[in-house]
Amino acid sequence: MGRIAAAYNWFDERTAIRSLIRKGLYEAVPVRGAWFYTLGSATLVLILLQLITGIFLTLLYVPSVTEAWASLHYLSQHDAFGSIVRGIHLWSAYILLFVIGLHMVRTFFSGSYKRPRELNWVTGVGLFVLVLAMAITGAFLPWDQAAYWTAVVVTNIAVYTPFIGSFLRALWRGADTVGPTTLSRTFGIHVWLIPAILFPLIGAHLALLRKHGEFGSYVNYRGAYRSREGVDVPPAPKQRPIEPPYPAVPTDELWAAPLETEDFYPHQTFKDGVVSAALVILVFILAVAIGAPLEAIADPATTSYTPVPEWFFLPLDELLLLVPQQLIPLVLVLPTGGVLLLLALPFIDRDPERNPFERPAVMVPGAFAVLFVVILTLLGSGRLFNL
Amino acid sequence: MARRDPRRLSRRQFALLGTQVAAAVVTVLLGIPIVGFLISPLFRREQAVWRQVGDIAGVPDRQPTKFEVAFPLGEWTNANVNLAVYVVKINADYRVFSNVCTHMQCPVRWEDGLRQFLCPCHGGLYDMTGNNVGGPPPKPLPQYVHRIDGTTLFIQNRFTESI
Repeated sequence: MGRIAAAYNWFDERTAIRSLIRKGLYEAVPVRGAWFYTLGSATLVLILLQLITGIFLTLLYVPSVTEAWASLHYLSQHDAFGSIVRGIHLWSAYILLFVIGLHMVRTFFSGSYKRPRELNWVTGVGLFVLVLAMAITGAFLPWDQAAYWTAVVVTNIAVYTPFIGSFLRALWRGADTVGPTTLSRTFGIHVWLIPAILFPLIGAHLALLRKHGEFGSYVNYRGAYRSREGVDVPPAPKQRPIEPPYPAVPTDELWAAPLETEDFYPHQTFKDGVVSAALVILVFILAVAIGAPLEAIADPATTSYTPVPEWFFLPLDELLLLVPQQLIPLVLVLPTGGVLLLLALPFIDRDPERNPFERPAVMVPGAFAVLFVVILTLLGSGRLFNL
Repeated sequence: MARRDPRRLSRRQFALLGTQVAAAVVTVLLGIPIVGFLISPLFRREQAVWRQVGDIAGVPDRQPTKFEVAFPLGEWTNANVNLAVYVVKINADYRVFSNVCTHMQCPVRWEDGLRQFLCPCHGGLYDMTGNNVGGPPPKPLPQYVHRIDGTTLFIQNRFTESI
C-alpha cells in the first residue's frame, strides 16, 4: 500500500471521509431533463461567487457615509484588479437574480414542489426573498447618488406599513432621515445578518434535495407513476437497483421516480460545470468590459439628479407610479401577498398531477403573475430609459 | 420500585426544568440589550440646530429660489450634510420648502416651464404654495421651521410637520 493510500486510510478511519464522498458524488439522478437541473447548481455557484468577492471587497470598503464612496472611488482609480472584483460582485448578482428566477420557474412548471418536496419549495422561496434582500441592501452600500436615493426610497416604502410604518422606517434608518446609522445598519444586514440566515437555509435546501432527489420533468415520469383513476397501472420502470431517494418499487399512489437514472458524478457534474463555467465567463467579461459604475457622491441637496432604480426594482417602482395616493400601501401588500402565495403554493396545489398541460388552474395564474411583473418592468424601463 | 410522590419533582423533571430555565435566562439576558440596542435610535432626540440660510432680500416675488444649507450630519460624525431649501416669496409672505417629496422622499425641483415643483421619480407635482396638485404625493411639500431676522433667513433641521 502506497503512502498516500495509507494516509487516506488513516484519515478515513478517523473521519469516514470515504463514505462521505461516495454519498455526495454517487447519487442517482434522472437522465432526462438534466440540463434543466443545472439552474440550481448555477444559482449556488453564483451565490458562492457573491460570498467570495464580497469577502474580498470588505478588505477595502469602509461602511461610513464619509468614507464609503471615497473608498470605492479610490478602488476605481488605483486598483484595476479590485475594480474587477467589484465588477464580478455586481454582475454575478444581476445574473444570479435571473438564474434564481429561472430555477423557480422551472420548478413551478414541472410541479416539483409537490409532495414530498413541499419544504424544498418553501426553503427555495425563502432563499429567493433573501437573495432579493441582499440585492437591495447591497445597492445602498456605494453611497453614490444612485445608492443614496435607492436607500431613501426603499427605506421610505416601510413607512406605508399600516400602524407601525414610521417605526419600521426609523428602525432601518436608525433615525428619521437616511444618515450614518442607515449605512452601518444596512452594511451589517448585508454582510452578516442575511448571510447568517441564507447559508444555513442553502444547507437545508440541499439536504432536502438529497433526501428526495431531483424530481425532474414530466417527461421523466410519463407512465412512471400510477394514474389517479387507478387504471392502466404502468409497469415498474426499468432502472438500476438504486438506493433511496428513488425506491425501485412503487411505495404508494403518489410514488414517482425517474425512468432512467445515472450517477451524479461525473454525469450531472459535467453539465453543471459547463453551465456554471459559461456563466462565470460571462460575469468575468461583463466585469472587465463594463465593470461596476460609481456615480457622483451622495448629495441630498440635489435638484437636478433623477433617481433611477436598479433594474430588479423596476416593477415595484412602476407600481409606485401607478398606484394612486390613497392606495400607496398596495405597493407593500402586493409583493408580500405574492411571497405568501408562493409559500402556500405546495399546500394549495396538492394534486399529484405533474404534467404542466394538465394543471391549468395553477399554470394560468402563474403565467399571469409573471406577465404582470414583466409588463411592469417594461413600462418602468420604457419610462425611465425612453425605450 | 418505590412509589413516587406525584407532587415531588422526579430527577428527570428537575433536569428538564433546569435546562429550560437556563435557556430562558440566556435568552432574556441576551435579548434585552440587543433589542434595546436596535430600537434605541428611535428614542434619541435629534438636536434642533439653527442655521443661517442667507440674505433673502434679493428673492424675487413668486419665483422659488434655491439655497443650500449645511447641517451637521449628526450621530458620531463631525461631517456636514447639505440640504436644499426653496424660498418662495408671495407678496410679503415667505415660505421655506424642503426638496423632499412626500411620496418617496425623492429630490423635487422647481420647473420654470411648468410653474410647479416636479418630483422626477414618480411625477409628483406641487404648486408654488407647496400643495400637492398632481401625481402620487399624499401631502403638501414639507416646510422647514424658520425665522427671519431683518432680511436674513434662518432654518432648523426639522419640518413643521413630520413626513
